[in-house]
Amino acid sequence: MNRTASILGLGLAACMLTSMHAYAEGSLAIFNWGDYISDEMVKKFEQTYDVKVTIDTYDSNETMLAKLKSGITGYDLAVPSDYMVEILIKEDLLERVEPNTFENYKNLEPQWADVYWDKGRHYSVPWVWGTTSFTVSTDVYKGDIDTLALMLEPPDELKGRINLLRDVNEVINAALRYRGLPLCNENPADLKQVQDLLTNLKPYVKSFAYESKELASSGEVDLAQIWNGKAYLARLERPDLRYAYPKEGYTAWMDNLVVIKGAPNIENAKLFMNFLMDPENAAMMTNFTGYANGVSGSAQYVDPKLAGSREYRPPEGAPDPEFVPVCNERVIRLYDRLWTNFLK
Amino acid sequence: MAAQSTRSMRSLVSFRGFGAMAALCLIILYVPMAVLVTFSFNANRAVTVWGGFSFQWYVKAASNSGLQYAAWNSLTVALIATTLATAIATSAALATGRGQRFRGAQAFYALVNLPLMLPEIIIAVGTLSFFALLGMTLSLTTVIIAHTVFCIPFSYLPIRSRLETMDRRLEEAAMDLYATQWRAFRHVTMPLLMPGIMSGAMLAFVVSLDDFIITAMVAGAGAGTLPVYVYTQLKQGVTPEINAISTVLLAVSILLVAASYFVAKAGSRYSRPAAS
Repeated sequence: MNRTASILGLGLAACMLTSMHAYAEGSLAIFNWGDYISDEMVKKFEQTYDVKVTIDTYDSNETMLAKLKSGITGYDLAVPSDYMVEILIKEDLLERVEPNTFENYKNLEPQWADVYWDKGRHYSVPWVWGTTSFTVSTDVYKGDIDTLALMLEPPDELKGRINLLRDVNEVINAALRYRGLPLCNENPADLKQVQDLLTNLKPYVKSFAYESKELASSGEVDLAQIWNGKAYLARLERPDLRYAYPKEGYTAWMDNLVVIKGAPNIENAKLFMNFLMDPENAAMMTNFTGYANGVSGSAQYVDPKLAGSREYRPPEGAPDPEFVPVCNERVIRLYDRLWTNFLK
Repeated sequence: MAAQSTRSMRSLVSFRGFGAMAALCLIILYVPMAVLVTFSFNANRAVTVWGGFSFQWYVKAASNSGLQYAAWNSLTVALIATTLATAIATSAALATGRGQRFRGAQAFYALVNLPLMLPEIIIAVGTLSFFALLGMTLSLTTVIIAHTVFCIPFSYLPIRSRLETMDRRLEEAAMDLYATQWRAFRHVTMPLLMPGIMSGAMLAFVVSLDDFIITAMVAGAGAGTLPVYVYTQLKQGVTPEINAISTVLLAVSILLVAASYFVAKAGSRYSRPAAS
């Protein structure tokens, strides 16, 4: 009798396996951050090229790297951040598709051609780029907001009303800039200064979360460390918020579209890359995310309210945003220890 | 036997503080779910701040194809993995509990339950390397295989313990009365075992539905499940849309569990010999 049951089980398994169909012709699998692609643009691509697009999501560059390393994911495209592109190239996980030879490459803004993570753009094209700073309520704090002091040595009205990103690098880099110290720092005396600063700050921080936009716009906090696109969306719901461009400096980042080694639909992936560099399509991404794209000529398609906003691009007189390459392993370990102590 | 079990029940219930303890346990178990459901009707965008009653997140969730796709994947995986795992677990329980004794039965028992002791991340990485070794491309099939495997011990345990408390003589009596082995199984063993199988299946279903770590590792293109989807939204900010879809999923699972309970009850009444 037990044999009958096991045969039943095996039969079921066989039925299930055979009913799983392989990919239809004309498909494209994108591995992306959550909530980070314009549905409108995807629909347009599907209709133009008769390709079915599937989208899966990850929560961090590191998760994506771990998954891609298995080499059997079946994804065609991914959207790694700047430093992660460099790592993926080093690990030989990307196809060298030479986007610099694509038809729409001529639209790329020249400053994005020779980036440190992919000089000459042999592997990647820009997805969108933005900055990390903070947004603050001007009803609550009346003074000059363009300084990291508000976030790291807050005045009385902001004490206990702060949300920091739960992100070791963003917080420590802000602290290093505020103290005027070099980034990727392993000098014990410098890190001691950072630690003291953070220890004093700790009682005034209300939360450490990525939901900065929700927290700031709902009035849970009055100062939130945040990305510029999210700051824009937060301000639409709470007009007294203002995005700061701290005089001590702030971080820039760019996410990039890359083709994964062994992509099953490599031709469709290349089509999509080229498609993204079309000004109108790039503008759809910008309008959806609130972040700038790297395609010239797209400005005319961008929502004028967004394009004219303070968050969209750094204003005249603000310092240039700074890209931060990945630090060496010793620094990463030191930062992690500092961070764990801070959160404890 | 019946009198004995009633007596032990009464003694447990009359134990001082039993009611309070049970209530506390139920509150701890169900308050998070109540909060989740409540906030799905939140007019505010934040998951933690109440801003009035609204259905807007259900409307939003209904038009979010990525969210629905993930929820659909979750249900598909949970249903198939539950069916397979329960079938395999039932066979295993029958083989170890009713079949001839064989060498290494104890070792087999331990082996079946091993996945319960291992940290999930180890199983996840192991499964991923296993698929990589076979050269299988990750897809929904790999998720179903992985879920089936880790669901087996969850459904095996209740089935096995049910089998152990069942009176062997009933089956022997059936065969004494010239029932074939199959008919004895079909009309005696199976109906008696059904409550064990049902609770095993429910456990497997629930475990499969909310697994994140293993799924995140072995899901291929187009195979992300709801927990994976929700987790990857964290960086962009979770909205009550997630609560809305979770509430729908909760309702679906409650319906499924209730339905399977009534089906099993009706089925067992139907197939029970008239004499009992």
